[in-house]
Amino acid sequence: MKKFWRCFVCNDIHYGVLPPDVCPTCKVKNAYVVISAREAKSICGAAAEDDFSKDDFRKAIQKFTEGNEFMVNPDREKVALLLDGIFSNESHHGLKYCPCRLMSKDFDEDLKIVCPCNFLIHETYKGVDKGECWCGLFIRRPKTIEVKP
Amino acid sequence: MNKYVMFHGRECPHCRAMMPLVERLEKETGLSLEKLEVWHDEKNADLMRSFRPILAPKCGGQLRVPTFFNTETNDAVCGEVEYEKLKEWATK
Repeated sequence: MKKFWRCFVCNDIHYGVLPPDVCPTCKVKNAYVVISAREAKSICGAAAEDDFSKDDFRKAIQKFTEGNEFMVNPDREKVALLLDGIFSNESHHGLKYCPCRLMSKDFDEDLKIVCPCNFLIHETYKGVDKGECWCGLFIRRPKTIEVKP
Repeated sequence: MNKYVMFHGRECPHCRAMMPLVERLEKETGLSLEKLEVWHDEKNADLMRSFRPILAPKCGGQLRVPTFFNTETNDAVCGEVEYEKLKEWATK
């Protein structure tokens, strides 16, 4: 079962079955202690920037895809529409749910459709040459053709 | 409820892409699809969720849009599909 963990040195918060062996922020080993959800929410709530715009999210997913086999869809119109839906869903339903699926109202189940989701297992992506996530926000990065000298 | 239902999302690009095909289908066959938006209409969302046992196994284990659903035969098609596939769903 996942728990909240706090680095006793720099107060990084981690949510998971186990904590990181080394704190990614302060690099201290064995630094994490289990804390309550209330404490985690207080720390994250106080520290978080309220203003996370669509542009911030766009930059975040761009960064997320760097070095991965997938990329953000270059179709800007499609991406803009999807971001409208993702932000509307966060505003009305609490999290950045995929606009091309529907919440089941089972929280754990619905975490699977928070963007970015684990689309590597989607039948529209896995093993598909021009694969994309279900909504099309992420697409498989086209293979570059190696030109021999 | 209409026999033919299209569950869709307002900000779903695949749903938007399917709309002209749905219009073509309605014109060609004389059928009428009931279009139910599920992210901005909780009643429609609950209705779609009520069909989860039928729809999810046909849609990757989840509720996805667009989903085309025949409420009499329980036939369902999910996603952005070719016109012929949509027509086959509606007319078989």
